[in-house]
Amino acid sequence: MSEKTYDPIYDQPYDPTLAEKLYNPKKPMENRITDIGPPKYDQFFPPVIKKNYGKWVSHEILEPGVLKYKSETGDVVYVVRCGTPRLITTDYIREICDIADKYCDGYVRWTTRNNIEFHVTDEETLRALMDDLKGRKHPGGSYKFPIGGTGASVTNIVHTQGWVHCHTPATDASGVVKAVMDDLFEYFGSHRLPAQVRIALACCLNMCGAVHCSDIAILGIHRKPPLVEDDRITGVCEIPLAIAACPLGAIKPATVEIEGKKIKTVRVNEKRCMFCGNCYTMCPAMPLADGEGDGIAILVGGKVSNRISAPKFSKLVIPYLPNEPPRWPSVVKAIRHILEVYEKHARKYERIGDWIERIGWEKWFELTEIPFTEKSIDDYRLAYDTYRTSTHFKFTNHVAVK
Amino acid sequence: MPTIEYKGKTFEVDEDGFLVKGLEEWCQEWVEYVKELEGIEELTEDHWKVINVLQDYFKKNGIAPMVRVLSKVTGYPLKKIYELFPSGPGKGACKMAGLPKPTGCV
Repeated sequence: MSEKTYDPIYDQPYDPTLAEKLYNPKKPMENRITDIGPPKYDQFFPPVIKKNYGKWVSHEILEPGVLKYKSETGDVVYVVRCGTPRLITTDYIREICDIADKYCDGYVRWTTRNNIEFHVTDEETLRALMDDLKGRKHPGGSYKFPIGGTGASVTNIVHTQGWVHCHTPATDASGVVKAVMDDLFEYFGSHRLPAQVRIALACCLNMCGAVHCSDIAILGIHRKPPLVEDDRITGVCEIPLAIAACPLGAIKPATVEIEGKKIKTVRVNEKRCMFCGNCYTMCPAMPLADGEGDGIAILVGGKVSNRISAPKFSKLVIPYLPNEPPRWPSVVKAIRHILEVYEKHARKYERIGDWIERIGWEKWFELTEIPFTEKSIDDYRLAYDTYRTSTHFKFTNHVAVK
Repeated sequence: MPTIEYKGKTFEVDEDGFLVKGLEEWCQEWVEYVKELEGIEELTEDHWKVINVLQDYFKKNGIAPMVRVLSKVTGYPLKKIYELFPSGPGKGACKMAGLPKPTGCV
């Protein structure tokens, strides 16, 4: 970077021993730097972006994964978008940096769906960059930098921690995402859908990420109530928090006797429990993960944009599919099926939610041949608004006509 | 569960160094042990005021007070609490007071 930067730290070569030199465990507050925030974004702008900031006139998608922006100054910039697994090593980041050094003067960016974007300013470099990216593969054979994710495609899956790092998941994140994206890979590098399809995954119904507002959502669910570990609950839990964490009021305080000692604990009314796991989030002595009980629910029809129709929440259509590591075949099959029926039937520009609302949910369940279960019928507090208070409906195979 | 021995006392702690049995095992030595961990040079009356408020509130209500309640009762703004306990009211003060480890999406 030749231009003057805002933060002096970026002018100096990286010193891996600096933190250790500055930190003295005996005096942790000495030399402490705090509240400096993230570095200012525009010091990492490629020169062409910096020059044309706020002056863009138009863009076009040249081919899947490749965008071209035009500025009022006459400048153009080409952007190549590549998929990433989100969970990556420093070796992989270094490889990205090497590519950026080779073709993009050291500049690169990540998108809000964890794709990578490389910027170049001429077509010759663009072709060289793309050829290079296409040739890079992991030893196992998978592409390191698949190009795609633009336009009416299935782009990267926004996902969570799963069994890699979290303690409340009902399913894995990275594993399911890899299995689904492998199966839908053709949709990542093409524009054959009626509109873009956003897929998201959350490994429990804390719903970190975007499952509640995605075209197709993969959600980890439990099906069994928590176990209460009476012998340690008093020491590790703030019991009123566990009681207040329950959306259905299924938890109440209780006293039990262990080895002659009275102990404060809680009891779960299993008929009221819907296995959300909120109490475990607040209280480590109420675990509920279960190999056979846990699985995945599929929701469809959410979106966040305002285009034509207002943003929508996604809705439950498949209440349960089993966890089948390492490739989750039932989940993969269900998602591909939903996508294919959508591709075949929806009109241009229709997101999955728009399409379903046009044809009606009963027709959608008939088209996809997904069995409708009572689990899809809302029964939580404001449920009434989701029932049909109209005589408008279509006869489908769900209604037995004699 | 790992145990910690300090000045002749044994404490059962979790992986983050919180007392597993809570106030049951809490004592003067525990406070001194955490003081060393936290890099606190000397325990002042201010420190003890925070610890006492936390313990009283926990005994009475079964939960740790919200930060705003802690500030209001002690009269110390959050900034002062961080000056007393560099790791903050949760990881610093609650640990020293023997309260359960804070939970939720922290």
